[in-house]
Amino acid sequence: MSIRILIVDDEPDFIETMVKRFTFRKMPVTAATSGIEALTLLETESFDVVIMDVRMPGKDGIETLKEIKKRAPLTEVIMLTGHASVESGMRGMSLGAYDYVLKPVDFEELLDKVRKAYERKQLNEGRHSAD
Amino acid sequence: MKDDTARTDPGTGAGPAVSPAARRERPRPLWPHTVAFPGLAALAVLAAVFLPAPLAVILAFFTGSLCVWSAVDMASRVRASERERSSLDAQLIQSQKLAAIGELSSGIAHEINNPLAVMAQEAEWMTHLMGRPDPTPENLAELRDSLSEIVRQVDRCKTITHNLLNFSRKMEPVPQEERLERIMEDMVLLVEKEAGHKGVTIARDYDTALPPIRTDVPLLRQVILNLLLNAFQAIEGRGAITVSTRKAGEGRVAIVVADTGVGIPPENLPKIFNPFFTTKPPGQGTGLGLSLCHGIVDRLGGAITVESEPGKGSAFTVTLPA
Repeated sequence: MSIRILIVDDEPDFIETMVKRFTFRKMPVTAATSGIEALTLLETESFDVVIMDVRMPGKDGIETLKEIKKRAPLTEVIMLTGHASVESGMRGMSLGAYDYVLKPVDFEELLDKVRKAYERKQLNEGRHSAD
Repeated sequence: MKDDTARTDPGTGAGPAVSPAARRERPRPLWPHTVAFPGLAALAVLAAVFLPAPLAVILAFFTGSLCVWSAVDMASRVRASERERSSLDAQLIQSQKLAAIGELSSGIAHEINNPLAVMAQEAEWMTHLMGRPDPTPENLAELRDSLSEIVRQVDRCKTITHNLLNFSRKMEPVPQEERLERIMEDMVLLVEKEAGHKGVTIARDYDTALPPIRTDVPLLRQVILNLLLNAFQAIEGRGAITVSTRKAGEGRVAIVVADTGVGIPPENLPKIFNPFFTTKPPGQGTGLGLSLCHGIVDRLGGAITVESEPGKGSAFTVTLPA
């Protein structure tokens, strides 16, 4: 089964590039341009890995991360940030983000992180079904 | 307020920290043990020179038993204070747990109360409809509506409890294979820019020959980020942080985060992993960062230690199973 990925970023250019690159790897991705949109999508669909920008107008990445972890705790979230803020990094990691990565991010590296995050979700689910 | 002033003063943190028992009762005086008994013993030795043998023997036994009593008393005091300290630590951990449970349970109550309210309303409406003498088709349709609404709300509650179960599972570490320096590097990059603005450089000394380790990666990242932030905050003005990874004996690896900051006074060293211990002004630190690190490292099967020299800097070492 392929990894169900959701990309959340308010920059259309970034989303476009990402969708293109993931699709080129035969990995279908869904895109959302805001935290609210991502949460609406999550109500009807489930995702394995969410790649999300921290700084977004409206509901920011940290707030959205909190909501995602509340609704679907097993979904892994990789946070991307354009400006390095240690404080928001600490908050993100303690809220259960899988990783907190500085933009620009090397695509191969991101791909590897997505795979690792997915592996973690599967391990968690395996534990779930074991008991 | 008194606690706050105590916290702002990093140097004399040990001073105002009075244990609750000491506040309750005045501590028993120490002078009998330090002055009176040794003095008596010296007198007895002197007296033995002049006194006849039987008297000297009795005197020796007397002073000897006094000394024994003194030693027993001191030992029991030490034991009592140790007990008190460990119970104090346990109390702190307990209060932290209670706070977390309180927050969690109010959250759950809120989440479940809403569906409960809806269900109560629907049930009431159904009772009202069924109280009517002849069931019309409209009434039946409404009954069906109410019933399906109740089923929906039950599902909602089920999701909440499922998520909670998942949450509690998530507290357990999920080991994954990853290279140690990769786990560190993301966090270092995150801190480096902010550090650079402040004139703090970060030097890396990774042992790239280390094989990947099996650990809970996001948890370890939290520890590293916390240590980096601590190192960064310990530096006043310019300075350097050195991050390194290395082998630490058979089947173990180590991470070291060292800084050239203010260092930790020796009297604070044993306390830095205690919950709520902080030398930062109130509002600027919860005092939970390092105790969180300690808790996580413990869960990962590792150990965290610190070496520090005031004025020169500190080095935190985390050893982990490879």
